[in-house]
Parts: sequence; C-alpha cells; structure tokens
Amino acid sequence: MDIISQLQEQVDTIASLTFNMIGTLQRDAPPVRLSPDYPQPTANPPPEDFADQPKLMSAALVKAAKQFDALLTALPLAEGGEEAQMKRIAELKAENDVVGQELQRQLEAAEKELQQVRGLFSQATDNCLNLKKPD
Amino acid sequence: MATAAYPPPPPYYRLYKDYLHNPKSAPEPPPPIEGTYLCFGGNYTTDDVLPSLEEQGVPQLYPKGPNVDFKKALRSLNRDLQLHILELADVLIDRPSQYARRVEDISIIFKNLHHLLNSLRPHQARATLIHILELQIQRRKQAVEDIKRRREDAQKLLAEAVGTLDGQ
Repeated sequence: MDIISQLQEQVDTIASLTFNMIGTLQRDAPPVRLSPDYPQPTANPPPEDFADQPKLMSAALVKAAKQFDALLTALPLAEGGEEAQMKRIAELKAENDVVGQELQRQLEAAEKELQQVRGLFSQATDNCLNLKKPD
Repeated sequence: MATAAYPPPPPYYRLYKDYLHNPKSAPEPPPPIEGTYLCFGGNYTTDDVLPSLEEQGVPQLYPKGPNVDFKKALRSLNRDLQLHILELADVLIDRPSQYARRVEDISIIFKNLHHLLNSLRPHQARATLIHILELQIQRRKQAVEDIKRRREDAQKLLAEAVGTLDGQ
C-alpha cells in the first residue's frame, strides 16, 4: 500500500485507539466518593486485570503515534513543490519525444532491411527451384 | 410479487439508420459538460479540487502559506493530538462535564491531519507520472539499442553469406 494510505490508516488507528481507551476506562472505572457527606457508592466489580488496562492501552497509543512519526520520516516528499515537478515533467516529455523519434527511425530502417532480405531470399529460393534439374 | 419492466431505450437509434454508409448523416455525440451539472437530484462539479478547510468550516491549525512543510506540520499535529488526548483524560477525572470542548478540539486536529494527507495526493500523482515517464524513456532507449544490435548482427550474417558464396 502506498505510504500516504498507510499514513491515513495510521491516523484512523490512533483515533480508534483513543476512543476505545477513553470508553473502556470510563465504563469500567470504579466510582469515586464525592464528599464526606455521601456514603461510599456501591461499585460494580471491575473486570479482571483492570489495573493493567491503562498501561496497555496507553502503550499501544504511544506505539501508534511513534509508528506515525516513523512513516512520516519515510515519506519521500521531493522538495521543490509543484513548479519543479511540472518542469521535470516537461523535460521528461521532451526527452521522451526525442527518444521516440529515434526509435521510430530505427524501426523503419530495420523494416526496410527486413523487406530487402525477404525479397533476396525469395529470389534465391526461386533460382534454386529453377536450377534444380528434375530427375 | 410485481416487478416493473425496464424502461425502453431512448428512441434516438432511428437517427443512426444510415451510419454505416454515411457516418456524417447522424448527429454528433454531445460535447463534454463543463462546470456544474445535475445528476439524480444532486449537484456535481467537474472541477475535482480538494475543498479547503475554511470552506468546510474547520479552523486550520497548521501555518498557511504557499508551500506548506508537510512533514513538520504533520509531526506537530501528531504531538498536539497526543497532548489533547491526555488533556481529555485529565478533564474526565476532574471536571467530567466539560468533555465536549476537548472532544471537539481532538476532532478538529483529526480533520486537519486528514486534510493535509489528502492535499499530498496531487503531489503523489505528479511523482508517479515522473516515475512512469522515466521508466518509459529507459524502455525506449533499451529498445533502440536492441534494434541497432540486431541490425548489425544481420549485416554481419549477410556479409558472411556473401563471403561464403564468393568463396565457392
């Protein structure tokens, strides 16, 4: 996949990691006591390995961000902007035309020689047939 | 179960009755449309350009200007994004009712990121074109070399054949 699509996918991955992380923490966090007046709220038992989840999820998020930076460094952004690219395209087009004409010339010359050789060959074979004495 | 029949083809086929004999007796195809056109009730434009962020009502977070330094802008946006996510987590701990502003900031950052990546696409298209042209030039040069070499080989063979015939 080309690198810009990879970058776009990495952005989407970061987004999904973010909302998964916030959502999981918000859903599963044990309730907090608001003030000394109110009694300690009853808590749903948090799921297994709840203490590890923030660590794992934040590690995944930071890894995704680092991956994004790595992809960004690998981006082959040629300096020069649009004008430089259009100039290069014009140069290449001119060179392509020149080489194309050269190719066309060579092709025509080769075709001509091929016709000559074919003509000579058919002449030679005709002579062979004519000279061959029937037994 | 009722099924409707397909609509009949448009009756313009009658105009092309003598097309084989006289191609000019039939009407020309319609010219390509320019500008905006209406298609099944939707407005489409023929000018394929990426709408700028202001047109979509999103504030632009990276510095404006003719030549945007994409790598630097994308890197700084990435860092901003991480900081905002951390801020959101903090806000949810202290003042949970104020999440909306933070979430909106995060979504603005994401929109900026995607807009920057999308505006890299024309650059990529031009780079692909340059690459294809270079490949084509290389292939053509190779073909010219091949033809030259074959012609020389053929000339040599013919010369040898003449030599053999004369020697006889």
